[in-house]
Amino acid sequence: MATGYDQWVEVATKQMKGKSPDDITWQSPEGIAVKPLYTEEDLKGLESLSAFPGMAPYTRGPMATMYAGRPWTIRQYAGFSTAKASNEFYRKNLAAGQKGLSVAFSLSTHRGYDSDNPRVSGDIGKAGVAIDSIEDMKILFDGIPLDKMSVSMTMNGAVIPILAMWIAAAEESGVKQEQLNGTIQNDILKEYLTRNTYIYPPEPSMRIISDIMAFSSQNMPKYNTISISGYHIMEAGADSVLQTAFTLADGIEYVRAAIASGMDVDTFAPRLSFFFGIGMNFFMDIAMLRAARYLWYKQMQQFNPKNPKSTMLRTHCQTSGWSLTEQDPYNNVIRTTIEAMSAVLGGTQSLHTNSFDEAVCLPTEFSARIARNTQIIIQEESQVCKVADPLGGSYYIEWLTNEIVKGAEKIMDEIEDLGGMAKAIASGMPKLRIEESAARRQARIDQGKDVIVGVNKYRLKDEKLDFEVLEVPDSVRLEQIERIKETKANRDEAKCQACLEAITKAAGGKENLLAAAIDAAKARATVGEISDAMEKVFGRFVATTQCVSGAYSSEYSEASADSAQVIDALRKRTDDFLAKTGRRPRILVTKMGQDGHDRGIKVVASSYADLGFDVDISPMFQTPDEAAKMAIENDVHIVGASSLAAGHKALVPELIEKLKAQGAGEIMVVAGGVIPPSDYDYLYDAGCKGIYGPGTPITESAGKVLDMLEEKYCK
Amino acid sequence: MQKDPSYYIQGVLDNNRLMLSRTITLIESTLATHQDIARRVINELLPRTGKAVRLGITGVPGAGKSTFIESFGTMLTKLGFRVAVLAIDPSSTRSGGSILGDKTRMEQLAVNDMAFIRPSPSGGSLGGVARKTRETMLVCEAAGFDVIIIETVGVGQSETTVASMCDFFLVLQISGAGDELQGIKKGVLEVADAIVVNKADGDNVTRARLAKKQYETALHLVTPSSPNWMPPVMTCSALEHRGLEEVWETIMKHKDIMTNSGELQKKRQDQAMSWMWFLVNEGLERWFYNHEETQKLLPGIKAGVEQGKIAPTRAADDLVAVLGKKDLLF
Repeated sequence: MATGYDQWVEVATKQMKGKSPDDITWQSPEGIAVKPLYTEEDLKGLESLSAFPGMAPYTRGPMATMYAGRPWTIRQYAGFSTAKASNEFYRKNLAAGQKGLSVAFSLSTHRGYDSDNPRVSGDIGKAGVAIDSIEDMKILFDGIPLDKMSVSMTMNGAVIPILAMWIAAAEESGVKQEQLNGTIQNDILKEYLTRNTYIYPPEPSMRIISDIMAFSSQNMPKYNTISISGYHIMEAGADSVLQTAFTLADGIEYVRAAIASGMDVDTFAPRLSFFFGIGMNFFMDIAMLRAARYLWYKQMQQFNPKNPKSTMLRTHCQTSGWSLTEQDPYNNVIRTTIEAMSAVLGGTQSLHTNSFDEAVCLPTEFSARIARNTQIIIQEESQVCKVADPLGGSYYIEWLTNEIVKGAEKIMDEIEDLGGMAKAIASGMPKLRIEESAARRQARIDQGKDVIVGVNKYRLKDEKLDFEVLEVPDSVRLEQIERIKETKANRDEAKCQACLEAITKAAGGKENLLAAAIDAAKARATVGEISDAMEKVFGRFVATTQCVSGAYSSEYSEASADSAQVIDALRKRTDDFLAKTGRRPRILVTKMGQDGHDRGIKVVASSYADLGFDVDISPMFQTPDEAAKMAIENDVHIVGASSLAAGHKALVPELIEKLKAQGAGEIMVVAGGVIPPSDYDYLYDAGCKGIYGPGTPITESAGKVLDMLEEKYCK
Repeated sequence: MQKDPSYYIQGVLDNNRLMLSRTITLIESTLATHQDIARRVINELLPRTGKAVRLGITGVPGAGKSTFIESFGTMLTKLGFRVAVLAIDPSSTRSGGSILGDKTRMEQLAVNDMAFIRPSPSGGSLGGVARKTRETMLVCEAAGFDVIIIETVGVGQSETTVASMCDFFLVLQISGAGDELQGIKKGVLEVADAIVVNKADGDNVTRARLAKKQYETALHLVTPSSPNWMPPVMTCSALEHRGLEEVWETIMKHKDIMTNSGELQKKRQDQAMSWMWFLVNEGLERWFYNHEETQKLLPGIKAGVEQGKIAPTRAADDLVAVLGKKDLLF
């Protein structure tokens, strides 16, 4: 063998005109050194190698025949506007070949606020369907047989009221609890890490999860009580090793919590499911799913399970929303196809494919069809389903799988040293790792090391949006408020209040919260009321924000002398600004509304500070009024408002108004995030000074911001 | 930028948030023209200052300073006090920029109308921070705030600097592995008016009590700065809002004792005096280094010292002699 390889090195060196194959080894973002060729040699001693799918350690898949026996479930995540509009959308999709439902909720609902709460006026129905009471839930599933349809619900913060309302709605339509089938995300740990749609502090939140597990193990045996999610961790900027490590460590923490609450591992572990995000690193993410299955099997051994299913990782996957571009958006169809292939070759159990317009707006009927058909075509036309784990035994894939196992295990060991994932999260370690990874990724993109076609390479000169953009009208909020009034007017108030008191009592005691909430849901209590009843005991969680520094500029400057010059030039401009005006350019980056995706503002904050700005960061979930107060107190030159959840049209103009009203109209406002180009003029007319969509390099937006500041303050 | 001092003075006295904020910007400016206006503003406002409780808070990173201020400040506003928080964040030595994230940990207080929180980048020198913070504190007092909280990260000499402008200096600690005293500098113990062991919650309560004992012992070995005040050690949980009233009561008790014994007045006089001398030193230094004659002499003398041709003592004498040349002084 060795001689064969040596010969190959010779041939390769000759073909590359004297350059050794070692010179083209690629350092992946995970820190894995990938050689240009793998051979049989590389398989030696790999611990994650496995002979058969459907058998321990499950590297090759949880089912023996995989898709040859039954293909993965096409499960598209959707929901917007009112329950009625979402219901119509679901029914059309089911008729067109979709197999399971996956509900996206409004950010207001996620955070446990009713639609009539003034804090959430900009969020209702924007990024998902708004649910206020069981009446909404009944409309949402009208005509959909809940005894047959598996329903997945992305809900983490307001899990208790939402799950209770779903169960109660099913019961009122004649479906029994034990017939219910589906999954609730219920993964609160990652909310503290990345997505931020939590309500309560970690401790009571973990208790809620245990209550749900206990309730379903007794009453809903077919129900998956948790979907341990790496997706949001990846979307926040984590590489594949970090995604694997943090997701599995979250899983281990839930298992420990359930065991601590007195459950036997085999009563709940078989119902644990996972949710991974699949990005554009094609082979890496195939290997990631294989590695995750192996590692879960290995890690679960510590709990001595008797049922093999307790050690079997089953997962849903979603293609990366982060990889979608606003520029030349039809390219996104191709990206999603590649990512979908990666998930399929990795052996996922169900899959969501993103719509090409999601960097701009919520999916329309048209874009949702293309997304769904992407999966149907892979499943029904490409013949990839015929063989289980077709890449098993590939030198490269098997080696890469093992590398991810090793890398993830190392991080998981660090987490164990910190006392488990809950403690690690409290220490801030995972969050900082993810942010560092995100800042580096941004720097690689900004300097063209990571290519994104249509963004940092082959960019179109004149782009025109030529597809329909879905917009959620503000009337949705008024409709929801009407229905809340109606529901409250028609309910037995005394009974409802008694149910709410029972929840508060359960929160302080040991009674099962979900059971108490089902009674309250039937008595027509609202999501907000049920959440408040628990908040009285639990309190509301306030996040701390940490920010890495130095990662952006170090990654960027390393690239070449040219890019180091770009950084230096910007730094010189901030220095000059200080010399001329007496202080550095000062920017407040803020997130208004209930959208908790803060990767964008953190990358901006950390990078701008690296460029010599003084950067103020606001707390999450600000109202425009609060953001204005902060801008004024900190006396910033400019406010950068980030919006990823369609609230910009209400929130950005309101912020500008509030600043003006307090005499601070000279503080400029710019916006970034997912903003459809068709809204640009509207925002400019409202006084917004700049809009930086996804894919704008930090160096470019910082340059433009400096142009404006110099024009205003240095002349 | 407005140049007329009365514009700022009126704004501050009217307790206008925007004007207060802009006045602080003026104070923080590195431009001589801005500092000039700022000085005139402060001079006019001085008679309106001095009524607030000046509270300095320090603690190692991770001691929970921001969380403490969030809970403590919120409690004070509920008691009817208006609270100003001045937080100093480190600037990067490489880029000069900074991340000012204090308010993300003071979510409630940040939106509270009774509170004003101003995070400031440390910028270049410690002396700069000291000047800006002190003047900002005075402006906040003139705007009618009842309690001024100055937060500083426990690095370098910043604690003693902050202590030198406060009535009460609170050192926040957390319990750790048992050798808590490793984490506290003797200089900090000497200026502390109280040590508060934070995060006495959950399974940490016992450890916090143990830490309290250790600090008490350590404090006994340090001579108290006042004959009438033995700095107490307390425990609290900012997270669970426990022990905060006791901290406030202690600060009030300290104030009564210090006021009645005349020490508070004396302390503030001393602070003002050492502040004046600090400024004189700073002014002299600036004058000296920027002086034409110094600039002229320096390269030659520096080279001489570096090459060992001139003794450092002689070199210093020669440079300082610049000050003695009569014709240069005027």
